[in-house]
Amino acid sequence: MPTLDVISINLWDILISFMNLAILYLILRKFLYKPVRNLMAQRRAEVESQYAEAEIANNNAHIIQQQWQKRLDKAEADSDMLVKMSVANADKRNEMMLAETRDKADKMIRRAQEEIEREQKKAEASMKKEIVDVSTSLTEKLIEREISPEDHRDLIDSFINDLGDEE
Amino acid sequence: MIDILLLIGVILPIVIGILIKVLFIPASEGISVTGAHVFFKLDLPLGGMPITEAQVNSWLVIISIFFLCLFLTRNMKTRKQTRRQIIAEWIVTKTDSLVRSNMGKAFMGFVPFIAAMLALSAFSSLLTLVGLFPPTSDLNVVAGWAIMVFILITYYKMKCGPWHYIKSFGEPVPFLAPLNVISEIATPVSMSLRHYGNILSGSVISVILASGLSLLSRKLLGGIGTFPLFRVGLPAVLSVYFDVFSGCLQAFIFAMLTMLYVSGAFAEDEYNERKKRKKAKAEAKAKAEV
Repeated sequence: MPTLDVISINLWDILISFMNLAILYLILRKFLYKPVRNLMAQRRAEVESQYAEAEIANNNAHIIQQQWQKRLDKAEADSDMLVKMSVANADKRNEMMLAETRDKADKMIRRAQEEIEREQKKAEASMKKEIVDVSTSLTEKLIEREISPEDHRDLIDSFINDLGDEE
Repeated sequence: MIDILLLIGVILPIVIGILIKVLFIPASEGISVTGAHVFFKLDLPLGGMPITEAQVNSWLVIISIFFLCLFLTRNMKTRKQTRRQIIAEWIVTKTDSLVRSNMGKAFMGFVPFIAAMLALSAFSSLLTLVGLFPPTSDLNVVAGWAIMVFILITYYKMKCGPWHYIKSFGEPVPFLAPLNVISEIATPVSMSLRHYGNILSGSVISVILASGLSLLSRKLLGGIGTFPLFRVGLPAVLSVYFDVFSGCLQAFIFAMLTMLYVSGAFAEDEYNERKKRKKAKAEAKAKAEV
């Protein structure tokens, strides 16, 4: 089989090699660089979209947090007010109840006093009557004669009345 | 399943190359440093078109790389990358950064070209590892690439206008023009000869060393020496340098020089200025017509 010389120049061989390099360039561009570049671009787009999504989600979370914070603040204020109101109510009711009980007690005391007075009067009346009776009977015995009880009674009544007034 | 087919597509061309070599090329006797074997010759003007080992092996390398690309870029996902996808992305990003740092952003279209150059050159040189003829040790192959580089250089010099291109030969002094022309032509010549010479010299040294060692073992060991004992070990170590290291290094140097020459040929500022001038002229013309 013939061989080329160690240093030989053949234009056709040069052309073939030239074409080989061009062909390999096209192959690499089409089958290696294009798909890989596309893929990388796609990946970058994906990453960017995810970043954007994350940012949106972050913003949303921030807004929601603010809303909740507001609500929480409001609830705290409400509860403070409620406590104050209920304390005030309780104070008022307490006072009211106190006043009521005082009234009731006053009334009861008054009634008791009235009763006492009434009893006193009753006792006074019965004592008077007793005294009158006793004195009549005593005087009857002493003077041994009938005195009209009516006259007598008047006399003694006036006496006792004087007695009671002096006391 | 398709993965396995693609992997077979990667390996099969190399196997075919070995088969072709075993079937059609007679074993060489003694030391002989020759060029590529010619399988057949097409009758064409300019000395005919010989289809040689170099061409066939280049095609096999191209087919192999083609299947490798298909294999690497199959089933790519934006998340949960597969291992080969990581390799593919690594290749792309590495070559991207290489071109960006050496040529600038204006030349990002060159990335696949530089990658093609690196891959073709490196894999061609590495074919010696499986015992095939490395296409890069054929001057014609490398000359083809260098001519492409030369065309690119000239194209980018011409971008600033033909007058600017012609004027550049008269710098810094007009009478240096012949030297400038020579240096212009010397670029592809030196590039191709450097690459080709390095790979060829590696093969030559390997051949000389191997035959020298077998001769030595025959002389020193006598009868046992028919088995070339000294050839065990040392050529393998040297092969690591001459085939693997030198092959990859030359590919890198070739690509590096291409990048530097092409980007150096393009005067970006001048080009932008010229563009601006042209635009202004066109606008003035449009105004005048109105």
